[in-house]
Amino acid sequence: MSATKGEHDNLLCGPFSDGLPSLIAAAHELKSPLALVRQLSLMLEDDSNCADEQKRILRQITLTSERALRLTNDLTKSVRLADAMFTLEPINPKQLCEDIVSELTPLFSAHDRKLKLISRKHSTLLVANRDLLRRIIINFSDNALYYTEDNNTVEINIGALKSGNIIRLGVRDYGPALSIDTFKKLRGKLSNSPTAIHARPQSSGLGLFIASQFADAMNGKIGMTRHRDGATFYVDLQASRQLSLL
Amino acid sequence: MNGKSVLIIEDDKWLAEQHARVLSKAGYKTIIALHAISAIQLIDDDLPDVIVLDVLLTGSTAFALLHELQSYGDTGVIPIILCTSLASDLSLDKLKDYGVKKIIDKTTMIPSDLAAAVKGVL
Repeated sequence: MSATKGEHDNLLCGPFSDGLPSLIAAAHELKSPLALVRQLSLMLEDDSNCADEQKRILRQITLTSERALRLTNDLTKSVRLADAMFTLEPINPKQLCEDIVSELTPLFSAHDRKLKLISRKHSTLLVANRDLLRRIIINFSDNALYYTEDNNTVEINIGALKSGNIIRLGVRDYGPALSIDTFKKLRGKLSNSPTAIHARPQSSGLGLFIASQFADAMNGKIGMTRHRDGATFYVDLQASRQLSLL
Repeated sequence: MNGKSVLIIEDDKWLAEQHARVLSKAGYKTIIALHAISAIQLIDDDLPDVIVLDVLLTGSTAFALLHELQSYGDTGVIPIILCTSLASDLSLDKLKDYGVKKIIDKTTMIPSDLAAAVKGVL
């Protein structure tokens, strides 16, 4: 496999506002799931585990590997975004989010958390690329999973803004509240989108940075709202005008 | 059980449980805190004998927590083991004043390293 110099430049000197080269940010972000998979595998080598424990560890290895793979897939897509053509089409956000809830429910259940969709029965269609939008919502959901307390529910919300011209898909987590300082910092970064967006102070923000790039490619934008008991990360996209043409 | 308690502060629940499994097998009583705020509450309720601390935490960094612990006489003496993927960027010499006794690299450690480190700081 070959790569052009431009691709390498993107990888090594990505536009992260904290000055981190994107390759380093990606490596840092991948360390966490890889270190966990390694620890779990080492635990499996220990013969003293009972059958149920072995089964649980294997499940955790599978789900953690899938999480790492999603990140690498998104990263690859993100680097090639500028060169690719993406079809924008009318999409039913409710159907897309239902599919995501179904896909991620095993991961959430394994973490003793729930994921649910809050939407009107008939939500307005929006204009987006199905694959990119799916990746954004999965990214937000993955972020929310790690910042929600045990036995809580992460909510995917679908709503309309500006007289229905904009459709907002938000992922609400219930974790430790962001401090005002952190919130202001985040809002500042979001207003200059596309830029690096840190989900929480300790994150390299790679996932959200990728999400902001994907949103930008669909003429949308991502943002966040701070709550007393967590945060909502959202993407705003144009509503489809398909109905008005009838 | 040897009666000693270890507070594990790690925001990855599965890794925290993994640490707890290893330490329980070695005879330690373990408590898990997934972020610094709950860690402070747990320390308030019952002082642990050792703290195993991840550096990149939800809500605040481990260094904010280390400052907090050093502010009080009783918590300032609890030995701390940093268990982090940033081990290569940290210097034990510079962190000794914060009660850090050992730094373990999450990416290269084997499970028994953690029990050995806890034993070593007690």
